[in-house]
Amino acid sequence: MLQVSNLKAAYGKIEALHGISFQVNRGEIVTLIGANGAGKSTTLKALMRLRPPESPVVTGGDITVDGVSLLDMAAHRVVADIGMTLAPEGRRIFGNLTVMENLQLASWSRREQDTDKAIRHIFDLFPRLAERARQRSDTLSGGEQQMLAIGRALMTQCAILLLDEPSMGLAPLIMYDMFRTLKKLNAEAGLTLIIVEQNAHLALQVADRGYVLDTGQIVAEGPAQELLHRPEIKAAYLGG
Amino acid sequence: MRRYTINMLLALAAVLLVLMAQTNLMDKYALQIVMLIGINCIFATSLNLVNGYMGEFSCGHAGFMCVGAYVGSLLSVAFFSDSALFGQALFGPEWALALFPLVLIGAMIAAAVAGLLVALPSFRTRDDYLAIITIAANYIVISIIENIDAIGGPRGFSGMKKTVNAMADSVNTLLDGFVGFLGFDFVVSDSDYAMSAAVVMLIWTLIGAFICVQVIRRLMTSTYGKSISAICQNEVAAEIMGINTNRAKIMAFMISSGLGGLAGVLYAHVYGYVNAQSFNLLKSTEGLVMVYLGGMGSLSGVLLAAVAFTLLVELLRFVIPWLNTTLHEVNLLPADYQLDQIWTWVIIPLMLILLMQFRPEGFLGNRELTHVFPGLKRWFTLK
Repeated sequence: MLQVSNLKAAYGKIEALHGISFQVNRGEIVTLIGANGAGKSTTLKALMRLRPPESPVVTGGDITVDGVSLLDMAAHRVVADIGMTLAPEGRRIFGNLTVMENLQLASWSRREQDTDKAIRHIFDLFPRLAERARQRSDTLSGGEQQMLAIGRALMTQCAILLLDEPSMGLAPLIMYDMFRTLKKLNAEAGLTLIIVEQNAHLALQVADRGYVLDTGQIVAEGPAQELLHRPEIKAAYLGG
Repeated sequence: MRRYTINMLLALAAVLLVLMAQTNLMDKYALQIVMLIGINCIFATSLNLVNGYMGEFSCGHAGFMCVGAYVGSLLSVAFFSDSALFGQALFGPEWALALFPLVLIGAMIAAAVAGLLVALPSFRTRDDYLAIITIAANYIVISIIENIDAIGGPRGFSGMKKTVNAMADSVNTLLDGFVGFLGFDFVVSDSDYAMSAAVVMLIWTLIGAFICVQVIRRLMTSTYGKSISAICQNEVAAEIMGINTNRAKIMAFMISSGLGGLAGVLYAHVYGYVNAQSFNLLKSTEGLVMVYLGGMGSLSGVLLAAVAFTLLVELLRFVIPWLNTTLHEVNLLPADYQLDQIWTWVIIPLMLILLMQFRPEGFLGNRELTHVFPGLKRWFTLK
């Protein structure tokens, strides 16, 4: 349903994506892996239609969801109308608000007012957040903050969730726990996930399909299990 | 019921102020200061909307005050008095009291539109770069007005006193009618109890300050207000939650500059004269000082700071000559050196330096009075 065709994006004069194409089907988990500077985060920011200066300008190609082009849409409409949102790199939670307030704020794009039920659902998924509900969110640990960032994204009732480096700075156990929760969301609620990861091994284990990016181009693609066993990818991204 | 007590108290205080001014318990000078406090409250709280709540750094707020002051003055002269500029009055002085709100609204709308000068660039720029744009906007406004000769150019513009006097006349005529209706044989307008023009402006200033505080308080407790806070925290995060950040920014900037314009039009009518240069960067800086003194994002803090700052500036008028005499008496100053009012603008920035050094969050930080003293919640809430 998400179709990216020949997408070119640039920061000022520097082109960061040189025409990449990929598609994501409904209910799939797709991962984009690659080295630093390959254009993974740039792709997500372009998909979300975030604006400069932090985000790139799309200079060519198209992004469509169910045939609707996103290029002329503002970020808030992508969230509200398309149902696609992002759990950004570095979490970007609202530090001086409590966990509860963060989640309440995130119900912005909902038209109906059943926020309590939705918040209970988030607390079921991440019981740690329920314990910390009244705590200021900048006092949370890194793992809890990442859970909050994902919980906040889910509060928008998204159908497609983009995750930018969700495992960054997390202890392995917490990381596996989180990916298990994501997998569960995918299996039970049919949530479509696009995961950008440095931890390629983990990402490929969770994902259905993967794309390998290198300096703004897609250099390899295929089912995750197959990519996991390809020798050249093993050598370049999985540490031998 | 208790929540209303604070409103009653405020209303009582306002009535008391007006009565004191009316019965000359408060002299002209004190009255002038009270009005200036009111205007500064509007000026500072409206700036706080952008600098405090939204977290952008606007240093050209006086520019919008200037737009409000000039547009309001022009409307006021065009509506209520015959002038060389507009010819015959559109409505005539007898309408001044009833239609003065139109002048205020016109000034606010004009200032809000001028706010677009900053709001539109803010879509793609922020922080230091936007701060430079706001300074530029301040200068653009002043330069444009200074170069329109028809409205006085650098000489300034006057004629608003006629409107204020006309309003005072109308009030006194109404009072005459009321007293006559009660059956007393007494003509207020000829007596010592006639309401002076200054008292009329005091009432308008109090109304303006009340409206401004209410607008900001209600805005910031609404969902739209929360979107402004979200932008302050993290713009990208706000966007991915589905907040239309452009709309929130336009709204914040336009409301802020519109209320700044309200401060301007009141200022113009209190003094009866406006000059573009009285709204330069120094005036904008005064606003910034009040906001930082009070605590960014704290409505009650900024109100306190506006009162304290205005009183402080006035206090220095007396303290500096006193210091001058005392220091000469104890021979601490060279006999031929006189300490003069210029030192006000050494002392106030110095206080700002000390404030930033020792209490960078201002009086209240981003909390309200009710957070610092929870007991006050029984009486009123600001957030």
